[in-house]
Amino acid sequence: MSGTRKHFVTTVDELDESEHVIVDIEEREIAVFNLEGEYYGLLNYCVHQSGPACEGRLTGEVVEDEDGELSYERDGEFVCCPWHGWEFDIKSGHNLARPDEYRVPTYEIVEEGGDLYVTL
Amino acid sequence: MGAKKQAISSVNDLHPVVDTDLHLTEQQDDILPYLEEPFNKILDVNNQGKRGQVEGGYLSQLYPSAGHLTPTDTGRAETDDVRSPEDVERAMELLTLDDAILTPGLNLRLGLVHHDELAAGFMTAYNNWLLDTILDEGYHGAMVVTPQKPEKSAEEIDRLVDESRIKAVMIPGGGVHPPLGREQYFPIYDAAENAGLPVMIHNAATGIVGNYPIQWRGTKRYIEVHVPYHSAEQMWHISTMLTNGIPVRFPDLDFVIQESGIGWIPYFMRRYDNEYSKKQNDAPLLEKRPSDYIRDQFFFTSQPTEGIDDPEYLCHTIRMFDGAENLMFSTDYPHYDFDYTDTLLSSLRTEFDDDEIQNIYGRTASNVFDL
Repeated sequence: MSGTRKHFVTTVDELDESEHVIVDIEEREIAVFNLEGEYYGLLNYCVHQSGPACEGRLTGEVVEDEDGELSYERDGEFVCCPWHGWEFDIKSGHNLARPDEYRVPTYEIVEEGGDLYVTL
Repeated sequence: MGAKKQAISSVNDLHPVVDTDLHLTEQQDDILPYLEEPFNKILDVNNQGKRGQVEGGYLSQLYPSAGHLTPTDTGRAETDDVRSPEDVERAMELLTLDDAILTPGLNLRLGLVHHDELAAGFMTAYNNWLLDTILDEGYHGAMVVTPQKPEKSAEEIDRLVDESRIKAVMIPGGGVHPPLGREQYFPIYDAAENAGLPVMIHNAATGIVGNYPIQWRGTKRYIEVHVPYHSAEQMWHISTMLTNGIPVRFPDLDFVIQESGIGWIPYFMRRYDNEYSKKQNDAPLLEKRPSDYIRDQFFFTSQPTEGIDDPEYLCHTIRMFDGAENLMFSTDYPHYDFDYTDTLLSSLRTEFDDDEIQNIYGRTASNVFDL
């Protein structure tokens, strides 16, 4: 293998906030998300049972406070694998339910002159 | 023991791969045209689509539901539609299956339907839709019977006895009262035995409203119900089947217990044997240990396999109920908790030889369902 290379993903103009694209790069499907102007890359592969982890809906986290009140936090910062509904934190790749055990690989996304790149 | 053969490294090395629980997702549009009199007349109501504000039609409201908030309801999991031969083909390709026993969706709740005669009507409608639409295109499936009407169910089995693509009789066991060991169900077992078809028992967590209404009132989350429910209700069914000597009365009948996980199976067998030693007069028809009847006449489908991230647990548990002979691979596709085809295999390979793995993935099913 000859080191890593920078791959063009898409342009900033084509990836609006709260949207994501999935691109094929070196036989890997990588999803690139725009969360409030920050860009995050996740492998489109579920570590549970190999489903397309980044093709499901974007969700938030249900939080229960000490009085039993429920709230919905971090709306849009999780992606659900459509096969079984496993939720992954887009920023870190960690599974919401079992973060210490399951994590989808993440990729750093770099912006240069209005273009987005991932290095593999 | 000699060295284990290790030729099987992936699902592609297995032939056949038989899914013993692949679900259809029949809906109102499928069932209504097959309803016979009087229910085709009674339910033929054009109310400008306002009767029941439910996507897919009002019919599903006649199948009681516990109202659980599931991953499908929240859109976290996206459920595929499997209502046509093309859908079945697509699912089988996705799952790399050679064969499958197609099982119902909505009619998993048939045993809860509150109108016994209508339930019998749904039974016949589903079976005729299944045959016309799906099985005639070359697939295998389970007919349903309705436990509310055992005599009608027996007649239904007799009616379809020559349909070679029907490979099992499914009792939707969720919420069924009384439990399936009781005398009133004997006509179903008698007819299935005569037809040479195994009896599948498949519960649905929504059945909690039928058999555990107090627990339903006392719980407030889906997971609280779904974890204990499936195996608990299967234990009630099998427990009463053993005391009433069902395997003795119907010695040529096989039972296929579905969708309840596996850890409870060796537990239940040993607990039953232990108690039987002290309470033999509760089950006077039995001529051998209760667990022996389970080994000889009961089979179990694998999904949802708990502990897939713990091969030692999984393999040990499967050994403890002779799963190499009694366990049959299933996916439960397209439900949100389906097991993908290689899920079980990766654990089995750490313990079981090729013959045993092939048994679990298809050979046992080929024998049980006469494929």
